[in-house]
Amino acid sequence: MIASLFLFALPVFAQETEREPLGRLTAYRVDHVETLDGDALGKAVILVRDGVIERIGKTVIIPDGAVVKDFRGHGWTVMPPFTVSHASAFQGATRGRGRNGKYVGIDTVWLADNELLKDYLSHGVLLAGIDPPGTGVPGRTSVIRMTAHAPVPEAVVQDLHLKLTLDSNRSAKDLLRNGLKDADAAIKKEEKAKVDWEQARKDWAEKQKTKAEAEKKEGSEKEASKKEGPASAAKENDKEQKEEEKEPPKEFTAPKIDSQLSPVVDWVRKERVAQIWLSDAAEWVHWNDILKDRELPWELVLSHTSSHNFHEVVEELASAGVRIDLPARLAMQTRYTRIHINLAAELVDAGLEKLVLRPSSSGVSGLSSWRVGVADLVREGLDRAIALKSMTIEPAASMGQEEVVGPLVVGMAANFIFVSGDPLDPLAEVVLVVEDGKTVYDRELEEQEEGR
Amino acid sequence: MNHFKKLLPTPSFLWTALFLLFLTPWLRAQDSPEPPAEDTFAAVEEIVEAESTEVALPKESQYLAVVGGDIYTVTDGMIARGALLAKNGRIMKVGKRVRIPKGARIIDATGMRVYPGLIAVDSSGFLRGSGASARDGFDPFSLTLDLGLAGGLTTVHGSNAVAKLTRGSLDGMLLTTSPWVKLNWTSTSPASRRSLRNSFSKARDLIRAVRAWERDKQIKSDAGEEPEANGVNLDHLRLLRGEATARFAANSLKDLLGICDLLEEFPMQSVIFGGREAWACAGRLGRVNARMVLTPRAKQYADDRLNRPSGWSIENAQKLWAAGVEFAILPSQKSISTGGIAGRDLLTLPMEAAFAIRGGLSQKAALRSVTLDAAKILGLEDRLGSLEPGKDADLIICDGDLFDYRTFVQWSVVEGNVVYDKQEMPYFAHIRPRPVSEKILAAVVEALEGESTEVAVEESAVSDVDAPEEE
Repeated sequence: MIASLFLFALPVFAQETEREPLGRLTAYRVDHVETLDGDALGKAVILVRDGVIERIGKTVIIPDGAVVKDFRGHGWTVMPPFTVSHASAFQGATRGRGRNGKYVGIDTVWLADNELLKDYLSHGVLLAGIDPPGTGVPGRTSVIRMTAHAPVPEAVVQDLHLKLTLDSNRSAKDLLRNGLKDADAAIKKEEKAKVDWEQARKDWAEKQKTKAEAEKKEGSEKEASKKEGPASAAKENDKEQKEEEKEPPKEFTAPKIDSQLSPVVDWVRKERVAQIWLSDAAEWVHWNDILKDRELPWELVLSHTSSHNFHEVVEELASAGVRIDLPARLAMQTRYTRIHINLAAELVDAGLEKLVLRPSSSGVSGLSSWRVGVADLVREGLDRAIALKSMTIEPAASMGQEEVVGPLVVGMAANFIFVSGDPLDPLAEVVLVVEDGKTVYDRELEEQEEGR
Repeated sequence: MNHFKKLLPTPSFLWTALFLLFLTPWLRAQDSPEPPAEDTFAAVEEIVEAESTEVALPKESQYLAVVGGDIYTVTDGMIARGALLAKNGRIMKVGKRVRIPKGARIIDATGMRVYPGLIAVDSSGFLRGSGASARDGFDPFSLTLDLGLAGGLTTVHGSNAVAKLTRGSLDGMLLTTSPWVKLNWTSTSPASRRSLRNSFSKARDLIRAVRAWERDKQIKSDAGEEPEANGVNLDHLRLLRGEATARFAANSLKDLLGICDLLEEFPMQSVIFGGREAWACAGRLGRVNARMVLTPRAKQYADDRLNRPSGWSIENAQKLWAAGVEFAILPSQKSISTGGIAGRDLLTLPMEAAFAIRGGLSQKAALRSVTLDAAKILGLEDRLGSLEPGKDADLIICDGDLFDYRTFVQWSVVEGNVVYDKQEMPYFAHIRPRPVSEKILAAVVEALEGESTEVAVEESAVSDVDAPEEE
């Protein structure tokens, strides 16, 4: 009794000394936190004010007035929400568009019904990237947030990366080569137009100047000529009217670029990142053959197929210095062997810094096996911390969503999930998803509703 | 490739340690006479260095040395326990005594035989795309490519392109597009044969008319317009002008003789695929300079109703060789197949040639049929087919006679790069694993003990290397 009184007094004391600013305060008492920023924390408190993490640590004093949510005693883990880099489940009806080099941008993301969003959320996924379907140069990627209902523009980042695929055949290579060539030509055309416009402006300005000077001179002459008579003055007026020319526009307007080509032009201007989809080592060789020594912003998305043989070029891939996205699963060395290839671990060992692991199939079924796949990779050599990052903050960074999904540190948006155990344990489930300090998914509640 | 190392019986430390091995800056093959005073190698290097300031050469010269093996040059006999040095993908020197520059990758071929890379004059499954686009469709890691290299192939013709099996790279892969014009002769239709002959007549008439016009032009001022190629088959024109090679397919004596007649009337470069009854007209084929592509195991029964020689002969290749006919050899399946009966596809090209040896063909001729003569048929004899300075460093190192059924290719080299190593690839590493020589072990131990200073050898070490001499 006395002890409990004493404990109760602590927050009161804190309130008096710290003078917290006003706001909605929630304190999460948790067993284990994977902050993904340095070491994991055991028995910690996450203090959230107005949807932002204010404090996080083992010795956080909970101010009075804070809503305390105690999740201790279950062995649950708190971590940043999962992020699926490529979720084709949302592509829906637009599948097959944009083939054969039509640079079609996805102007509207086909948002699935709310059930699909909920399914993703129930697996702890807050963000997902959506690619334009099709091959070649199909278009640009988008990002959706699972808490968006129907097409809510604020929740969707559109017009992000440029998707490019390589099919180890001449047409795909030609498509890319020609795309680059056309983009170069468009840029050159614009530059020339700008130079021409500048010249026109300059010429015009010069002409105005000389005209003004001439007028000035004429003015003084006129004064003198006035005495002579009005005839000569009229003559001068005629001349002036003839010389008057059309003024070039004050603002430069660039020549219009074909809407299919414009994302490629952006890429060539280094204003847009290209995601290069490769399905085998040969395509990597061909991609380099296209790129040559050109410096462009790009990332790699590797797709494992039965002919997967990326281990042939691990060193080159890792030393390219770009983010690499691959499905979370062990591969077999092809050619009828049973030798496991842990491509993710090999890439990291070879120096890869930015690794993204995505579900090996993008449907809801792929989500349930995602963590199992990553666990396989960790069991066979992939660093655990890197693995967790590769499912959360790294894909988010690829989408430019570092502020939504990032390491759980002070100042970050309070977006995190609770997993009933080690996130890489296949038996562990996502039990709670917190977005901006609000619970947006609660497994217990959902189960109650379902059972109703 | 490196995954397989885990399974190897050889201790893994050894393979890594080999990278650290010190190698003498130069070496001398055993029993070699005293070296000549001049250092030819140094001279060559100086020239190249001088060039490098003007031409965009590879950043650093890549040397590959194959030492200690019996080198079958094809054009210059066999050099026992010789050495071969390649620089940037070209052969620099072949001989008993070759100076090896520091930093060269060295393959110890002691007790092995070095041959030019084998050439398949026709194939399928290696290339995708057709003609020049074969490069853009090339899979430099395909299973067929790996197995082709395991079978000793370094160059293949297929999909209207001639390509090297440059594993892992596109550099130097495409050699040329197909140099052949296909002519249909074997059809039983006399009308089509007549129209072919007529077409060649027209082409020849045009050539003669153009020649006459050119003569006239020099004498007369009013020679008129150049004769036009109206209605003339341009391919046939190219053939008669010697700009292309005619490709026929024919097996029966009747067809072969018909082709000989055509070639006698219209001389041109030609290659005839098939030729099962060619032994019966070897002399004529030789006189019209026809080149052949043979499959020595392809049989055909003799037709007793005919009052002439007929059917196949195991002596076919030997008789053609005796008549001076150049030929290449191809197996009955021109792909690498994972089904069917083993030994009949491009995985075992030398086995097909071995059958010709069984029929009396000399080993030397059999070797030519899968190397230099095959290169000639593809029009690439200036680059491929033999081991001599200036030619491409495309070679194979075998653990025995090329035509022995037990022989495996241990290494394949394309453009001076080791693109296949039996012990590093999963296909045949487990069959009679290549032993590591005691001298390599000693050298590794020496390197590990810090007695040596430099890293030089990768892959394999040299067992017959003399100690470095003080200079």
